[in-house]
Amino acid sequence: MNDGATDILDEQLEKARCGERSALTLLVQRHQRSVYSLALRMLGTRDLAEDLTQEVFMQMSGNLRTIESNRHLGFWLRQVTTNRAIDQLRRRARVQMRPLEEEAHLFSAEENSDPLLQRHLQALLAELSPPARAVVLLRYQEDLDPVEIARTLEMPVNTVKSHLKRSLESMREKTSGARPARCEDNST
Amino acid sequence: MSKDIESQMRAALRPVAPREEFSQKLLTGIALERPELKPRRLGAGRRQPLAWWLTASLAASLVLAVGVHQRLQQQRAQQSGLEARREVMEALRMTSQKLNLAYEAVKSQSTSLTDEHSGA
Repeated sequence: MNDGATDILDEQLEKARCGERSALTLLVQRHQRSVYSLALRMLGTRDLAEDLTQEVFMQMSGNLRTIESNRHLGFWLRQVTTNRAIDQLRRRARVQMRPLEEEAHLFSAEENSDPLLQRHLQALLAELSPPARAVVLLRYQEDLDPVEIARTLEMPVNTVKSHLKRSLESMREKTSGARPARCEDNST
Repeated sequence: MSKDIESQMRAALRPVAPREEFSQKLLTGIALERPELKPRRLGAGRRQPLAWWLTASLAASLVLAVGVHQRLQQQRAQQSGLEARREVMEALRMTSQKLNLAYEAVKSQSTSLTDEHSGA
């Protein structure tokens, strides 16, 4: 984001803090794709993602005074969304584990987007633990570097790096069609 | 290869937009949740200085009342101290008078006894 756009959004944040509804609307519109996509890909269903998105923005509107800038707002929203999603997934895991829904709307509908890769990616996200899933999404959806991811999820940078490494290896195995080594060992 | 997978993952994981109805519901929900976010009327901002002055004058009145009360208490204590001092002085004066009288009586008695002895 360039400095001009950042300045405008900082100005909108200031207006939203003073109670201007149109400024708050603009901020929600600016960040809702990111929050909703994180929630959707973390939780796997549209209903749960919409509920979580709504909760996060409600919390945001009550916490505007503690948010210093638009950049801080982006960080805050990603942190709250991933933490809440991880909590939900952990609670859900205690009751029953539900796989990610096989819904096309989980991924971007770009012309050059490979459907096979989307299926592999969906399988990868489904098999990852909630924190590892959050790491992958913050890296490839939000384009954050490992240090920023570590700050957002409050985990060591090395843990972030190892999650990313394992996820990439898993993805490479899936796309190359190779079986994991331990499966080969079992078959022999 | 790794870079290729990463760029493919980035492409597949681009943020997606929520349903339009959801966006509308979300914005309405936030506006309803925070009624204080309704646009302010002109002059609404002046309420804040007024409230500040009101608070400041209440605080000043409270401080003044406490100060006056303390001053009155101090004056009362000083007055009762002076009264006690006056009473003590009065008692001492009276005691001194009695002692003087007793001394005079003893003295006149001893003088008359001396005269009687010398006359005899």
